[in-house]
Amino acid sequence: MSLYAFFGAVEQGLLFSIMALGVFITFRALDFPDLSVDGTFPMGAAISAILIFNGVNPWITIAIAVAGGAAAGAVTAILNTRFKILNLLAGILTMIALYSVNLRIMGMPNVPLLGFDTVFTSLENTGMPAYMANVFILGIVALLVGAFLIWFFHTEVGLALRATGDNMKMVKAQGASTNRMILIGVALANGLVALAGALAAQVQGFADVSMGIGTIVAGLASIILGEALISSVGVVRAVIGVIIGSIAYRIAIAMALTIKIGGVSLSPSDLNLITAILVVIALMFPGLRSKIGVVGK
Amino acid sequence: MISIDNVKKVFNRGTVNENWAVKGVSLDIKQGSFVTVIGGNGSGKSTLLNLVAGYLKPDEGRILIDDEDVSNVNDYKRASYIGIVFQDPLSGTAKSLSIEENLAIAMKRGKKRMFGMGVKSRDRDFYREQLRTLDLGLEDRLKDKAGLLSGGQRQALTLLMATLVKPKILLLDEHTAALDPKTADKILKLTIKLVNENNLTAMMVTHNMKQALNLGDRTVMMQLGKKVLDVDGEERSKLTVTDLLELFSRELGDEAYDAGML
Repeated sequence: MSLYAFFGAVEQGLLFSIMALGVFITFRALDFPDLSVDGTFPMGAAISAILIFNGVNPWITIAIAVAGGAAAGAVTAILNTRFKILNLLAGILTMIALYSVNLRIMGMPNVPLLGFDTVFTSLENTGMPAYMANVFILGIVALLVGAFLIWFFHTEVGLALRATGDNMKMVKAQGASTNRMILIGVALANGLVALAGALAAQVQGFADVSMGIGTIVAGLASIILGEALISSVGVVRAVIGVIIGSIAYRIAIAMALTIKIGGVSLSPSDLNLITAILVVIALMFPGLRSKIGVVGK
Repeated sequence: MISIDNVKKVFNRGTVNENWAVKGVSLDIKQGSFVTVIGGNGSGKSTLLNLVAGYLKPDEGRILIDDEDVSNVNDYKRASYIGIVFQDPLSGTAKSLSIEENLAIAMKRGKKRMFGMGVKSRDRDFYREQLRTLDLGLEDRLKDKAGLLSGGQRQALTLLMATLVKPKILLLDEHTAALDPKTADKILKLTIKLVNENNLTAMMVTHNMKQALNLGDRTVMMQLGKKVLDVDGEERSKLTVTDLLELFSRELGDEAYDAGML
């Protein structure tokens, strides 16, 4: 793998770690399998792209994208808590609805951003090479989001939110509303996923209505890979694990794409198959590790 | 004071399975009183406790806590008045959170949860001091996950969490029934200690007759959704398990013996 490809993988890993941290809130902390992220990722991209296209400051477009994602997440949460729709289905309904909403937001299936200023071009203009500028900015955002989540999970609300994913009966008995926790958690998660979508649009130079397909699987793969590499004991290690898992996942994919089997080399269209195999290996890994005698808790 | 005012609860109303679980029960529990509620399966004793806790809403009648009608107040809102310990020793704590984090959640019962640190360093000494009263060595394990504790330890922690913020009433739902006899005995002693030290008002549901007579200062017996006995003071101290059994069989016919009420 070339250095250029490596930087590309790290860039992708950092970008999607922000999304994976959102998925971590719902899947791991809340135990709420939220599939709306497949819709809120392109939603973030759509909002950011169309606003930049119309001359809005790229940083402001990110803030609006986060608010949009959080609002969509709130819809999923309310469908589940108020209207008693199964959490998995509530997420799917939001995801499907967002496909149309995203087309409305953009007014077209994709928005190109070539030639427009983004949060990345501002640093490139200082003379820094693009691949380094991207890694720099995405790295800072990923670290800030990670630090924010570690703080959040230790607040009064954060504790009640984690307990909600563990034991709702206990949370209610201690006077906290589990519905409120689900609302906060799913909204926050989708806000982060939309943030990742907005950054994706800006770093890639376009937003596309179908760019969200497989978001949830990539997020899960990162989380599981992180748990296999760094055991998930404790909130701090779990959050760091998600970021490292996301980078490892993108590097693994970049490496897999260079593999040649006989005359056939793998192509990006094989990505979903590679992801599935990676997740299986990562899920087997904790067992393998103890089998070969490496002490891991 | 807790007032249960002619409360009725029916399940599956209007169907062939219509079941009046509680058929008009009134009970005034004075401040500082410890009431034990006994009854067989289907007597309505657990339904009554769930009505007080807010997990069920009465179909008729009212539930008052300090003269405030809470009949239609949601369970989690009503929790600001109520400490509860369930039968399942694992259901009162969150296993993936540390002991101190569980306690921090309990510290906020009845208060608004915001974005301050959940576990404040100044609270740790208080947590240690409280855990020391359990006499289980948990005071040195603040950072351990609750999931690492045994059932008995978790039930002890649940008891502490239910009383950390003084409740207007402590509800105990057969909270020793799922523990081995030795652990159950320890949890009972701890219950008495916490109730006495904090001068708590308590209502304990049990199907152990000996427990019902030995603990607390008042015993209520439920049968087929009705209150059939309500004794305290001298009358209660004269009562024996045999008397209770006789009462049971008189109310139910001889079936009570067959149902294994011992």
